[in-house]
Amino acid sequence: MNFVCCIKQVPDTAEVKIDPETNTLMRSGVESISNPYDLVALETALILRDKYGGWVTALSMGPPQAEQVLKEAISLGADAAVLLSDRAFAGADTLATSYTLYKAIRNLDLDRPVDIVLCGKQAIDGDTAQVGPGIATRLGFTQFTSVVEIRELNTYDRHITVKRRVEGGFEIVRGPLPTVITVDLGLARPRRASLPGLILSLRAVIDRWDADAVGAEVPKIGLKGSPTWVRRIFSPPLKEGGPVFDGRKDPVPAVERFLDTIVADEELISELFKNPGV
Amino acid sequence: MPQNSKGIDVAAIIPDRCIGCQICAGECPVGAIEMSGGVAHIDPEVCIGCGKCFEVCPVEAVSFEPKRPQETPQRIPGVPEDRFSEYRGVAVFIEVTHGQAAPVSWELAGKARELSRRLGTVAIALIAGHELKDVATEALEYGCDEVHVIDDALLGSYLSRLYGKAVTDLTNTVKPEILLMGATALGRDLASVVATNVETGLTADCTGLDIDEEKRLLLMTRPAFGGNIMATIFCENHRPQMSTVRPGVFRPGERKAGRTGAVHHYPFAPPVGEMPEILEFVRDNTGETGLDIGRFPALVVVGKGACDPESMPMIQELADLIGGVVACSRPVVEAGLMPYERQVGQTGKTVAPKLYFAIGVSGAVQHLVGMQGSRRIVAINSDPHAPIFGISDTGLIGDYRDVVPLVIKGLREAVSKR
Ligand SMILES: Cc1cc2nc3c(=O)[nH]c(=O)nc-3n(C[C@H](O)[C@H](O)[C@H](O)COP(=O)(O)OP(=O)(O)OC[C@H]3O[C@@H](n4cnc5c(N)ncnc54)[C@H](O)[C@@H]3O)c2cc1C
Repeated sequence: MNFVCCIKQVPDTAEVKIDPETNTLMRSGVESISNPYDLVALETALILRDKYGGWVTALSMGPPQAEQVLKEAISLGADAAVLLSDRAFAGADTLATSYTLYKAIRNLDLDRPVDIVLCGKQAIDGDTAQVGPGIATRLGFTQFTSVVEIRELNTYDRHITVKRRVEGGFEIVRGPLPTVITVDLGLARPRRASLPGLILSLRAVIDRWDADAVGAEVPKIGLKGSPTWVRRIFSPPLKEGGPVFDGRKDPVPAVERFLDTIVADEELISELFKNPGV
Repeated sequence: MPQNSKGIDVAAIIPDRCIGCQICAGECPVGAIEMSGGVAHIDPEVCIGCGKCFEVCPVEAVSFEPKRPQETPQRIPGVPEDRFSEYRGVAVFIEVTHGQAAPVSWELAGKARELSRRLGTVAIALIAGHELKDVATEALEYGCDEVHVIDDALLGSYLSRLYGKAVTDLTNTVKPEILLMGATALGRDLASVVATNVETGLTADCTGLDIDEEKRLLLMTRPAFGGNIMATIFCENHRPQMSTVRPGVFRPGERKAGRTGAVHHYPFAPPVGEMPEILEFVRDNTGETGLDIGRFPALVVVGKGACDPESMPMIQELADLIGGVVACSRPVVEAGLMPYERQVGQTGKTVAPKLYFAIGVSGAVQHLVGMQGSRRIVAINSDPHAPIFGISDTGLIGDYRDVVPLVIKGLREAVSKR
């Protein structure tokens, strides 16, 4: 089995805020990390490789520093890593990103046919969940999004059975390889790097491919290949808080005043209490 | 204005404004821009002072003085002004499961009608599925002017490739200038497939839609960076302009019986190759399922501070009293006390009830993005500094075990007086 795992380097998002005074971005101390969903994808690939044999290639598109996430992948047990880095890739939206990754996977596929591509369900900075399906559609592979469990991988008849999250529950679905799977956080718990793994990753040479190397058509990559543009960035409008009543010492009057403000909203009350006593 | 050794007036990045989007690095004709530490850096010795980076920066993070007055954005050379003349209408994909449309589809039908009127065009419903019963008629009643349907036994349950093909074919036939889908699990999966097939832009998970009437652009606003920041995105050079929209953001269109319009049916041309097979559907086993918290006019939302099982009957009593259901924050789901479908927030549901009653919820930004549209927000929390008080219309500080019984009693009295 030949696995490819797509990993994105993302800022540790909870830290990014807009300074309300100056309306500029505060990114003090924002670290770059591997997208947590992608680490689950990698773990899944490693588990499957260890069980069925094969080869795991970690793939990332980003600036030269994104090499870091690939070194991490090697330290965790990936067999090879490729960084897609080229100035021409910069500014890519999901359409251009999935195209670039697709071209790279096709390249890998020529070398050694790819059976399973694993991606995180989404990236914590973009949250779009669009790249995985985009890759699957371009490759013409079977697509399973939001996978929470691999039920069975049959390497003889080349089918995979997965459990995936759908509205209102889960679905058990079986389909032919090759496939693109996007994984939910619950699928696996990423391991920690071993010491030999860490040492290996320090010495590892990460292949670097540019637009030429993946054979990408220039109008389809980076900013030029991206239909969507950002027009404006702003802080979410926060409304002002209303009155707060302190009921710690003397709850009864506080609750009374609290309820008064709610009950005063006639329209609300008449809508909610259409059938009093229900 | 800084100059380099060649005497060129160069551009510079204002680091604390830069969002690291890399757009400038991609545009720079001489490769003077490198990313480092998450922000762009311009090498002044390489910069030729063309100002490209200044023009493309979405957040005004480039300091540069253009020599000539800035030109208005150019059209792509060789592409005529009316290159999109064959595209018309604001379309909505109507998501149907077991013969029933998802509520978000009707929310979007209402929005599509509004947007289409502003553009002087029609609202269109695209429907793919099987045993669609009265969905087409319903789409007309909810405000669509025309309906395009592929009804085929192969589309009985959702499979990415099959639905992807059906909706791509509908899109290529109908050619809407805008295509909206609900940001449900199904909608997000499908929208990516369709956008890739028709090679257009797609903005996921939007919480706001607006129109630039003059340029006929859809302005799509969505949370970015985990909800700390909002971004408005547009798609100028491709059609349709596609977006998935969170359920609960817009009100459903007004349903008027007797509205009519054209309904077109098309045969399905399935894709070739072996399709996956759905073996089983498992209901979410952590609770009763299929419950859509977005449909209720009132929600009592429990957070980590109010999630001990013993208090649940009390919480439920409050929810019953105000005609709502119990929802929760993420830690409550993680603790296994509530099913995922009850979770509000960035990775849960977006809701906008008439009354949002938070108990023991701190008000983390990832939670807030999922409920900010609620009409009235009230909160009970033992911490006077809990951020939730910053966005609530009314707050009550106290231990919920003490105050909730009083609230229930008080509400009962208030109701009985009516
Ligand atoms: C990528 C990402 C996605 C996320 N998505 C979501 C999401 O979709 N939804 C979501 O909710 N969270 C989400 N989170 C988690 C979020 O950041 C917060 O951790 C979470 O919302 C906090 O939940 P809480 O308010 O219930 O708990 P806490 O933050 O622990 O707050 C508990 C509150 O209860 C109060 N309290 C304690 N005891 C009492 C008492 N006896 N009486 C009254 N009040 C009491 C405390 O003062 C405190 O304010 C996400 C996080 C990340 C990183």
